[in-house]
Amino acid sequence: MSPHEEARLIAAARRGDSRAFAALVDAHQQAVRGFFRRFAGHWAEADDIAQEAFVTAWSKLSRFEGRSSFRSWVCGIGYRIARDARRAHGRGAVRDNDWASVHDDRDAAAPLEDRIALAKAMAELPDDQRAAVALCLGEGFSHTEAAAILALPLGTVKSHVTRGRERLLSRLRGDD
Amino acid sequence: MDDEARLARALGAPAAPKRDAAFTLGVMREAERQRFRRAWLLSLLRTAGVAAAGAALAVPLMGWAPGNLAALQNGLLTAGSLLALVSFARIMSQRLSIAAR
Repeated sequence: MSPHEEARLIAAARRGDSRAFAALVDAHQQAVRGFFRRFAGHWAEADDIAQEAFVTAWSKLSRFEGRSSFRSWVCGIGYRIARDARRAHGRGAVRDNDWASVHDDRDAAAPLEDRIALAKAMAELPDDQRAAVALCLGEGFSHTEAAAILALPLGTVKSHVTRGRERLLSRLRGDD
Repeated sequence: MDDEARLARALGAPAAPKRDAAFTLGVMREAERQRFRRAWLLSLLRTAGVAAAGAALAVPLMGWAPGNLAALQNGLLTAGSLLALVSFARIMSQRLSIAAR
């Protein structure tokens, strides 16, 4: 979707056009759901977070200033929802990954054992680090976009990505 | 395969499914449900406000009315007349605007 088309849809959605907002959801759902699947581990939970993020985004659309992309803004809303939910429910429960989701993904090129090791290693990263890795290495967001989404300084995001990557690599090598 | 390549492949494994119309539909349904709930709560608050104001007016009126029946009758008649006048004006203006089209 071109930035012009996106701006047109956002303006229409602000006026209450639900079809325009549905088009925005349709266009960005893959990136947003992908991020939360990598961040949350549990795929059903990830889709719930993504849904809540989009619903919240619609109710707060008047506050969207366009300083970041719509996709980044929704990811930021969802990240705060997910982080608050984790704090409320305790970290132990949410680290229980959905292994069935990993097994079901038979088309992926990576070997299953690597994906399981990666999912375990991701679950062990601190929230901010995991989110930075999921955004930059998993979904291809730029460091600047990730910094805006996570409301962190750019340098912190870069360091989270570097450290997170190192930890994932060491886990894949079987160092831990 | 070296570790960098293994990590890249494992991270690159698709986490999101293909575009899913059911997800979009779910978002829109949930948004509508929340909008309906907000509207319902607002209407409930408005009704409760009107009821509270009515009750607050009724309490002193109950004490005042028995000694001032004539004034109460006059007041009710005046209010009824005003209401009828306003309703008539609204109906006429609606008809005139329809006829003007």
